[in-house]
Amino acid sequence: MSLRFTEPVWDHYFALRCIPGNDENQKITITSRYVQPTDSMDEVTDGFGNHKYVGHYADLHRKFEYEVEGIAQVEGMRIRKEELHPMYRYPSEFTQCGPQIQAYADRMSNLEGTNLERAIQVMHQLYEHFQYKSGVTDIHTTAEEAMRLGQGVCQDYAHIMIAVLRRMGIPARYVNGLMIGEGYTHAWVEIYTGEGWYGLDPTNNLHVDDYYIKIAHGRDYKDCVLDKGRFLGMTEQTQEIYVNVEEMK
Amino acid sequence: MGIISVEKLDHLYWLGRYTERVYTTLRKFYDIYDQMIESPEGAYRKYCERLNIPDIYESNKDFTYSYLFDIKNPDSIFANMGRAFDNAIVLRDELSSNVLSYVQLALDTLGASAQTTAPLLELQQVIDYLLAFWGCVDDYVEEEECRNILKCGKYIERLDLYIRLDYNRKDIEKEYSKLQNRIQKTHMCYNEKNLECLGRMIEEKADWKTGYQEALGYLGGII
Amino acid sequence: MRELIDHTEGINRLLARYGVKFGLYKNGNFHEQLFPFDAIPRVISHEDFLYLEKGLIQRVDALNLFLNDVYGDKKIIKDGVIPEEFVFSSSGYLPECEGMVPPKGIHSHISGIDLVLGKDKEWYILEDNLRIPSGASYPMIAREICRQASPRTFHNHLIVDNRNYAEMLREMMDYVNVGGIPVIMTPGRYNAAYFEHSFLAERTGCELAMCSDLFVEKNFLYYKDYRGEKKKVGVIYRRISDEYLDPMTFLPESLIGVPNIMDVYRSGNVSIVNAPGNGVADDKGIYYFVPRMIRYYLDQEPVLKNAPTYLPFYEEDKKYVLDHLDKLVVKDVAEAGGYGVIFGNELSKEKLSDLKELIERESRRFIAQEVIDFQDLNIMEGEEMVPRKADLRAFVLSGKETKVWASGLTRFSRKADSFVVNSSQGGGFKDTWVLSR
Repeated sequence: MSLRFTEPVWDHYFALRCIPGNDENQKITITSRYVQPTDSMDEVTDGFGNHKYVGHYADLHRKFEYEVEGIAQVEGMRIRKEELHPMYRYPSEFTQCGPQIQAYADRMSNLEGTNLERAIQVMHQLYEHFQYKSGVTDIHTTAEEAMRLGQGVCQDYAHIMIAVLRRMGIPARYVNGLMIGEGYTHAWVEIYTGEGWYGLDPTNNLHVDDYYIKIAHGRDYKDCVLDKGRFLGMTEQTQEIYVNVEEMK
Repeated sequence: MGIISVEKLDHLYWLGRYTERVYTTLRKFYDIYDQMIESPEGAYRKYCERLNIPDIYESNKDFTYSYLFDIKNPDSIFANMGRAFDNAIVLRDELSSNVLSYVQLALDTLGASAQTTAPLLELQQVIDYLLAFWGCVDDYVEEEECRNILKCGKYIERLDLYIRLDYNRKDIEKEYSKLQNRIQKTHMCYNEKNLECLGRMIEEKADWKTGYQEALGYLGGII
Repeated sequence: MRELIDHTEGINRLLARYGVKFGLYKNGNFHEQLFPFDAIPRVISHEDFLYLEKGLIQRVDALNLFLNDVYGDKKIIKDGVIPEEFVFSSSGYLPECEGMVPPKGIHSHISGIDLVLGKDKEWYILEDNLRIPSGASYPMIAREICRQASPRTFHNHLIVDNRNYAEMLREMMDYVNVGGIPVIMTPGRYNAAYFEHSFLAERTGCELAMCSDLFVEKNFLYYKDYRGEKKKVGVIYRRISDEYLDPMTFLPESLIGVPNIMDVYRSGNVSIVNAPGNGVADDKGIYYFVPRMIRYYLDQEPVLKNAPTYLPFYEEDKKYVLDHLDKLVVKDVAEAGGYGVIFGNELSKEKLSDLKELIERESRRFIAQEVIDFQDLNIMEGEEMVPRKADLRAFVLSGKETKVWASGLTRFSRKADSFVVNSSQGGGFKDTWVLSR
C-alpha cells in the first residue's frame, strides 16, 4: 500500500490491519515487513482479536507506504470453532435494518434448514439479485442504501448479507482479507453455525476455501478498516493498493 | 508538576504581555485623558501613531469610549484584557485559583466601568487588581520557571511600550536589565544577538524620536 | 443559617471572582454563565446519609461488577437476567473494550448517582452517570466561601467537611496509576465544565492536559514538555467522552482525542478514569435492570429504590405505558442532560398519539417512569422563600474501597413548575450538608 500526499504532512499517526492472524484454519509466517516512514511502531491486538500495527511519524513527509510478505497455510471450508459473541446478532451502523432489508429478509423467512443451509440459500439469492458494479457505492454506503441501488461491490454484498441474516436470526460478521490472484483486498461474510464461524463469499457465490486468506473481522466494515491515519497538513492524498496471492506447490 | 507544555509556555508568555499592556496603556490613558480636557479634538492621534494602531476614532469622546471599552475594537484596552484572560483561564493549575481570580476581577471591573459616568474613577480598581495579580504571582505561583516566563512576557511588553511612547532613558535601562536578568534564568530559547543589539541601542540613544522601529525589530526578535 | 442567606450576594460575588461558571452553546456561540448559588443548604441527616451511603456503595459495586462481566464472561446475560439486546445493541457498548480488564478491575471510578427525595420521604434513584459525571467542584468551592461568610455555622463540626473531594480523587487515581504522572485531560476551555477540569487539576495537583499535550509512543502515553522532554502518564482522568477519546478507534473525523490511546489502554500501560465503555451500564434502558444486578452479583436486596420504571420492550409494560402515557414521563435512552425527556401530561392529544406510535415502533428506545412527587426545597428569590424541585447528585469514588463523598451537588429548577434541574436549563445549585451526628 502506498499513500501519496500532494503537500507535505506531519504528525502522522497510523493504525494498520494488514497482517493476517493465526488461527486453526490458517498458519501465517511473515517473511518481510516494511512500513515507512515511522518513528515508532508497535504490534497490538484490537477488541475483536485482529492484529494491528500502530505507530507515528512526526516529521514532514509526502509518502507513506507499507509492504508485508508472508506465507499462509490455509485450510478452508472449515468451521472456526468459537463461542458466539452476542454483538453479532444485532444490527450495527452499516447493517441497520431499513424497509428494503426488512422486505428482503421477510422473503427469505420461509427458508428451512440449519443456519448454514439457510445462509447458503441467502447467498445464492443475493448473488442472483444483486449486481456487481464498481463506482456506484463507496466505503460509506450502508446495506440499506446498497440494497436500494441493487448494485455494488464486495463490501456491499457482505453488508447486505449480514443485515439480512441477522434479521433472520442468524449471527453474522464481516470479514476482510485476500483472495488468490492479483488486485485488491476482498470482503466476505462469516456466519455462525451454532458451534463456530463459517465463511461465505456472496460476491462470488462461493464457500470460503483454501484460496482465501482472512485478515480481520468485525460487526461491519467500520470495525476492520485496513488502514487508518490521522495527520496534519493541507493536502490531497492518493492511495494505491496492490495485493498478490500466489499458490505454493 | 514541573512540566510545562509548549502551549502553556505560550499562554504564560502572552499572559505576561497582555496584563502588562493593559496596565501600562491604562496608566498612560490617565495622562492622555487629562490632556484631552483642554486640547482640541484629536489629541490621541500621536499616541495611535506611536503604538501603530489604526486611528479609527472620530473625536476625543469617541476615543475615550472605544479605546477603553469597545470589545469590537481589537486595539481597545478591554479587548487586550480579554486576551489576558483567555491566556490566564487555561493556566489555573499553574497559577492557582487565587492568582487567577485577580485577572477575572480586572476583566469584570473593566467591563463594568463602561456603564458608569466617570469611568476613570472605577478604572483605578483595574490597575489595583493588576498590581495584586503581579504581587500574587510572586507569592503563589509555585514553579519558578512559570514566574520567569510570565515576567519575560511582561518586560518585553513593557520595553516595547516604553520605547514606542518614548519614556525616559533611565526607565528603559531599568526594564532592559530586568529582562536581561530574567531571560537568562529561563530555559526558553531566545536570540542573544538581538538582545545585545537592543542593549547597545538603549545605551547609545538619548531619546526615541527616531530609530525606535529598529529597536522594536530587535526586541521582537528576542523570543 | 440566616447569616448565610443574608450573605448570598457576597457569596455569589466571590464565586464569580473564582470563575465558577459553566459554558453554554447558544445559536452556535459559546458563552459562559455564572452558576447561581442558593445559600439555603440541602441538609441530609446523619442517619439518612448512612442509609444513602450503604445503598450507593451497593449500587456502584454492582455496576462495576456488571461492567466487568459484560466485557468479560457475560454471566448475567447467559443466566438470562438481562436480555442481551439491551447490552449489545446499546450505543454505550464498545467492542473495543471486549476482554479488557482495566487496572485494578475498576471501570467506574467516579460515579455520579442522581437521586430525588420523594414526598413519601423515600429516596429514589433517577439515573446513574458512569461516564464523566461533573459537578463536584461546585459544592467544594461553595463550602469554602460559605465558611468565610458564616464561620459560626460550621464551628461545632456538626456539618461534615466536604473539602476532601480532591484528596479522595487523587487517592483513587494513585491507586489505579500504573506508573507515571497523573493528568486530567480537558477538551479545552470551551467545554461546558471547563471550570471544573481546571479546578480539579489545581486541587489534586494533577497536570491539566489538552489533547495536543499528550501523545502515544511505543504503546505508552506521554505528556510533552516545551523543552522536548516527555513524562510517562500512568493515569488519565479524561473529561472527554468515549467517542472522542481516540480518533483512530472511534470517530476518525474528530480533531480532539489522542490517537492510539486505546491500544495503550488495552495493553495495560495506562489507566483511564473512567474506563471507556461504561456507557453500557448507565444507559437509561439498563437502569431498569440495576436492582436485578444487585441481587444477581451481591445476593442482596437493593437498599435504594429506582423510580418506578416501565420498559416498553416487555409487552406487559408496553401496554401499561400506552394506557397511562398522559401521566408518565418518557425518556429517550440515547439522550442525556435533560434532553429527550417528555412529560405525558404536557402533550396535546395529537402529540400523545404520535408518541404512542413511536413507542410502539421503537419500543427499545424508550423508558417510561411514574412522575415522582418530589419533596421541594426552599430557595431564596429576592427576599422571598419559595419551594422548587431539586435533585441530588451523589459522588461515589471507587478505588481501594468504594467511598461516598459526604456532600453532593444539589441542583434546583429555576421555574416554579419545572422538574428540569439541569444547569443548561437555567437552574442553580446549593451546598449539600451531611450532618455528623
